[in-house]
Amino acid sequence: MDDCNIMEKQICPVIAPRIAVSLQKLPTLHKAQITEIRLRTGLPVLTVMGITDSMLTEAGNPTENKEQALICSQDDLLRTMQIISRNSLYAFEEELRSGFITISGGHRIGVAGQALIEECHIKSLKNISSLNIRIARQVLGCAESIMPYLVTDEGKALSTLIISPPRCGKTTLLRDIARQFSTGLARLKLPGWQVGVVDERSEIGACQNGIPTMDLGPRTDVLDGCPKAIGMLMLIRSMSPQIIITDELGRAEDGAAVREALHSGVTVIASIHGSSHEDIKYRPHVGELIQNQYFDRYVVLSDRPKLGTIEQIVAVSSGDNLYSNKGGIRICG
Amino acid sequence: MWLKLTGSTLILAASIAIGFHLAWRYAERPRQIRQLLSCLAALQSYICFSAMPLSDALRLCAGGIEGPVARLFHLTGCALADNVQLTPQQAFWKNYQDMRKQLMLEKAEIEIIQLFSTNLGMLSREEQEKKLIMIQGQLQKVEQEAITARDPNMKMYRYLGVCGGLAAVIMLI
Repeated sequence: MDDCNIMEKQICPVIAPRIAVSLQKLPTLHKAQITEIRLRTGLPVLTVMGITDSMLTEAGNPTENKEQALICSQDDLLRTMQIISRNSLYAFEEELRSGFITISGGHRIGVAGQALIEECHIKSLKNISSLNIRIARQVLGCAESIMPYLVTDEGKALSTLIISPPRCGKTTLLRDIARQFSTGLARLKLPGWQVGVVDERSEIGACQNGIPTMDLGPRTDVLDGCPKAIGMLMLIRSMSPQIIITDELGRAEDGAAVREALHSGVTVIASIHGSSHEDIKYRPHVGELIQNQYFDRYVVLSDRPKLGTIEQIVAVSSGDNLYSNKGGIRICG
Repeated sequence: MWLKLTGSTLILAASIAIGFHLAWRYAERPRQIRQLLSCLAALQSYICFSAMPLSDALRLCAGGIEGPVARLFHLTGCALADNVQLTPQQAFWKNYQDMRKQLMLEKAEIEIIQLFSTNLGMLSREEQEKKLIMIQGQLQKVEQEAITARDPNMKMYRYLGVCGGLAAVIMLI
């Protein structure tokens, strides 16, 4: 599905009709470049293209003038939530507590509103006032240029941590790494690996009824919607993967599960929010993985000059900088 | 003579049929309210314990029940599955309008259905459960009223049908 079709077929149908009509009228090129749509009660509808954004007019044109912009009403937001949840908001309580809902196609919808607290935990979100619709795109081949850095000369896959600030293409890169390893690396004359993906947020494989809608290669098993820590151990026991891929490490149990997987002889490829490995070294729970050098490679992504730029590839044991972004290679986004 | 006899028989039969049909309406109303209650109880389970999507829950809660009330829930579920932009309120109302001749529900029950379909699916499980319990409580009261009205009215309309027909025949002869 091309970028414009994603907007037409997967995004517009889940947005309140009044706003969807204007979005559909946008120029094709603009539609294909949208990475996020931001809806905020009483404020203009915003379309984000990478690091720039523009407001949307009712006639479907991008504008910088707030007076001409289409304002998102409370009703638009409620209608959007109603469509996203298919009239079943109660079925998304757990997702709302996490602050996002993933819809068909792997698109993540961030939610902000008034938090209801019970015994120091978020019980639910009410009076939802902002939605951030992040459009997931499959970029086949985006990991091709970094694959030689992720295998040894003997053809062994290396455990890799992808470090990136939000919106720089972590998931897109992980998805293609899964596909490349699963398919095999023809350029390096390496056969495919058995890959297990723990897709807690249903973003990597964008599964529908448990079947991935994204191309993850012929040797990939996906554990959809399962917490990372439980999922990694489940996969090791049940599917005996050679490589485990998972997104956004952060909790204490994630670090423990990664350690256990690595000690089981499985290669782990994961992602984490941050701007460099120095940056995340002292983060609670996962910082220990950096300090004890559990990974073999760090791949750092940035949005400079554009989204999905490889900033740096580091060989952990030697500390060598295998690649540094001087000329800038943009791989996805 | 034969013409009079045939005419009288037809008048009597029509009058009895009208009387029995009106009596049947009174018998059918509490039965449909009971079915409504049964569907709502099943819906409450599907929502609160299984967190099943509303369209599926509406289709499944009518399982094992025959008749227009079950069809109302089933068709509403189908409508919501086919058109995600439709609200439960719109879907219920549209299907109610299409089936209103088969449904023996009166203003009190219809108002309760409208109240039930407002915000349906857009509340948390806890809130949804409270609302469904409240709706079922209201319907149980209406059911009692319908049962109380059923027996005397059924008898009255049956007698009225027979007696009215006989009176018309006597007057015509």
